[in-house]
Amino acid sequence: MSEVPWSLHLLSEVLAAFSVDDPHALRNVINRVAEAVDAEVVAILREGKISHCIGLSATEQPLLIAHALDHPASLRLRSGLLYTYWAPMGEGALLVVGRLREPFNLEERSLLRAMGRSIQLSAQVLQALTAEREAKDAALLQATHDAMTGLPSRSLVLDRLEAILSRSNPGDRVATVLFVDIDRFKQINDVHGHASGDQFLIAVANVLRRVVRSGDLVGRLSGDEFVVITSTAMHQDAEALAARIIEQVSRPLLLAGKLVSHSPSIGIAFALAGDTAETVIENADMAMYRAKDRGRGCYACYDPMMRLDAQHRAAIEADLRRGVRQGEIRPYLQPIVTLPDRRLIGFEALARWQHPLRGLLAPSEFIGVAEDTGLIIEIDTLILKDACAIIGGWRLHHPEQHLQLSVNVSGRTFADPSLPDHVARALQSSGMEADSLYIEITETMLVEDIEATIQVVERLKQLGVRLAIDDFGTGYSSLLYLKRFPVGILKIDRSFIDGLGVDREDEVIVKAVIGVARALDIELVAEGVETERQLEMLVELGCDCVQGYLFGRPCDAEAAEALLNRQATLAKAG
Amino acid sequence: MPADPLIAPLAPATTGTLAHQSVDPVAGVTATPELDSLEESDSERWIQVGGSILLDSEQAVGEALAPILASGQPKLVLLFCSPSHDLSLAAALVADQIGAAGLIGCSTAGELAPDRSIGGGIAIWALGGAGFSVSTGLGQGSASGLRQAASDAAHCLDGLQRRAHTVLVLLADGLCGDQMEVVRGAYDVAGVDVPLVGGCAGDDMAMQATQQIFGRRVHTNAVVAAAISSDAPLGIGVSHCWEPLGEPMLVTSSDGTSVSTLEDRPALDVYLDAFDAPDEVRSDPELFASWATTRPLGIRRRDRIEIRYVSGADFQSRKLLTIAEVPQGGLAFLMQGDEHSVLEATHMACQMACEGLQGAPLKGMLLFDCVARRSVLRDERISEEIKRINAVRGDLPVGGFYTYGEIARTKGAGGFHNQTLVALALA
Repeated sequence: MSEVPWSLHLLSEVLAAFSVDDPHALRNVINRVAEAVDAEVVAILREGKISHCIGLSATEQPLLIAHALDHPASLRLRSGLLYTYWAPMGEGALLVVGRLREPFNLEERSLLRAMGRSIQLSAQVLQALTAEREAKDAALLQATHDAMTGLPSRSLVLDRLEAILSRSNPGDRVATVLFVDIDRFKQINDVHGHASGDQFLIAVANVLRRVVRSGDLVGRLSGDEFVVITSTAMHQDAEALAARIIEQVSRPLLLAGKLVSHSPSIGIAFALAGDTAETVIENADMAMYRAKDRGRGCYACYDPMMRLDAQHRAAIEADLRRGVRQGEIRPYLQPIVTLPDRRLIGFEALARWQHPLRGLLAPSEFIGVAEDTGLIIEIDTLILKDACAIIGGWRLHHPEQHLQLSVNVSGRTFADPSLPDHVARALQSSGMEADSLYIEITETMLVEDIEATIQVVERLKQLGVRLAIDDFGTGYSSLLYLKRFPVGILKIDRSFIDGLGVDREDEVIVKAVIGVARALDIELVAEGVETERQLEMLVELGCDCVQGYLFGRPCDAEAAEALLNRQATLAKAG
Repeated sequence: MPADPLIAPLAPATTGTLAHQSVDPVAGVTATPELDSLEESDSERWIQVGGSILLDSEQAVGEALAPILASGQPKLVLLFCSPSHDLSLAAALVADQIGAAGLIGCSTAGELAPDRSIGGGIAIWALGGAGFSVSTGLGQGSASGLRQAASDAAHCLDGLQRRAHTVLVLLADGLCGDQMEVVRGAYDVAGVDVPLVGGCAGDDMAMQATQQIFGRRVHTNAVVAAAISSDAPLGIGVSHCWEPLGEPMLVTSSDGTSVSTLEDRPALDVYLDAFDAPDEVRSDPELFASWATTRPLGIRRRDRIEIRYVSGADFQSRKLLTIAEVPQGGLAFLMQGDEHSVLEATHMACQMACEGLQGAPLKGMLLFDCVARRSVLRDERISEEIKRINAVRGDLPVGGFYTYGEIARTKGAGGFHNQTLVALALA
């Protein structure tokens, strides 16, 4: 074989081991160096340390370091005399190659010298290529994945879903999207801070990863909106997965030292032939809203009617935004009178939409959309400001009247930390006394979201504003919060009033509530009084105040002032 | 092709690892009371081999184990077993009868038992006596490779009581990844001081899956090892006697065990044309694999040619597939051999191994014989190989198995072979 030149192809073999796909490229390179020249020992020395070594145990390797400067031609090992060659690699690094029994000849030394420098250069090229690839991978990851949860972001979710849809064959399992939205997520951020909110989202992402099958895709579309892409043979499979997600995500989490429990609402959509990725996700999104309508922690499957509903809701939303901007949302006032003298002592302000085409609209026509879109906060603060301005304005003409005002606010508004600021501004600009204003909420809002609202309640208390508890008796009915919070009015729910004279149990309940209010020195208002019989019974039971159609429907400011004027006239006449 | 025997005095290693057994009555590391009770002098060593072609596993194990148990309590038992037997059952049957002895083994493509070459049988090779120390190890690999598995298995050296001469025997899954990695992984631990020998498990040429035995357990994608340390010399012989067919060619494109081009031409076409392959071989993967058994590639090394077994081909991409690395940039030969060269290699390897004993009397041999060499000899001349072996060993025990690749690192850091006979002689 002496006629065959061997050294150059060995160098080529060694350098061929460099690969950006191999994380152990340099380790394989020194193996090939050893195999090329039948060496037992190969090591790379850098800055007085061994970066790679084969053939020597950890206890023998210091021998090479000890001779890194004098480069002896041989070293004595237990196995015998090791002939060495110390090939400079550049930048102070050395390729040390050792062979037992036989020194390296001139051709081998020449080859090893070429290998040393070539390995260094190749390693640098590899390092640069690897860094470039990693940078590209990182950029791609950043572009396609959500940095906080590590989940694929919207663009990648759409790409993957599109690919799945293009591969689907009739009769195969159906591509299925579960749109997961966390109920009342904003409250976590508001109450516990954004850091806790982020922790919560990371925890939800981890739960979703854990719950789905290995081939499923979990992505984060935005905020608290997640998506699961799976394939199902039957609708029940998707529903079972949704139920599993709801059960797992609803488990309490420890955030900032507090147990937090929030449920998800899930919309499910099944891909149909010709659907695009965007369409399927939109469908799942619509189904999610239907799930929310059913209550928290529910799921719903998409059906085509939802798209019509959604289009209808979208139209209402746009119209409502316009209406809010143009001042079409106005306070209507319903009188509250004392018993037994039937004297007007104040009003409850209720929102009405004076639509330019559809006329006057009741809250049931637009409050749902307002709550879904967040417009409700704007509407509530608008009603608060305008109603206070009306009542404050009447003080000039009726200084003898000390009118009280109840203003309904939604749960979202009540949890909004800026509500006390709005209240303070409304009082200041209207000149109303703080003790005349009641912020009317449901007992459910107060008790269920206690962490979210405690600061709001404290600041309202500092302002001197009190709470009116609406629909009292239908919710948690905890007496503890009646003492703890500045509750000035209890409003007994109309369903109990309806039963007066009809249902003995309702009578008992009303009597009990009146007893509670008296004991705690809280004013009691009976809502929904429509008949003289109901009124008589409430008088008998000792109720303080009433409101209802018997004394007047909600009316605009002009009509309400007319009532006030009439009472003033009667008072003067009396 | 000659290979240097190497006798290596050793010092104890220091690091620890997983799944190892150590048996040494002198050191008493994990020795059983039964072993401790043996009254053996330090110079006493024995080797024994048994074989059986009985179809019933229980009877076959009984027959193969009988001469071993008659020799005394073994310290190490190597079980080479055709996949036609239930390896789990065979391992359990052997383990039940050998007390605290270390047990490793593998599935085969034929077995070498005293005075015969068998197929579909069982061969058991064992050593004992106070002059040997033994420990065994296991490394579980994955489909992606065996380097770490080989390192893990080689760490059995850590628990070995070192004597004057030590060798590490490796049995690897021959169908898992690049077999060069087995040698590299074991060498990472064994280092320059400990030579390596061994073979890749077979599956009677089904080329589907092989099995490795460690104690009573059977594994796949694994490497099992036995470290043997002896007071007396050990010798290793390696020989293949294949000859190049024509000039070497540049490996212009390869990736591990997949050779894309030779001299910038599709490797499969170069190979088929050079060997003037019959038409049926050019399109039928099974016929090709069988035909290629006796037509290996050779890789140019410093002073020798290393053989690479061509295990198959990708007819779509026109690539050749091997079971060990064919490095890009290297020089490759198409190799040829005949019955004469195979028999010559047998004699040479055994002779070299015995010469490594430095004059000490041979006690027995362990052979790792490539199954492709058996294919060259065919059944009618296989007995001649046994005669060549007997000519060297006399009437001493010899056993082993037909492999899918052979390991012999006696110098340098490499040492994976194909279509080669590796012989370990023990004095």
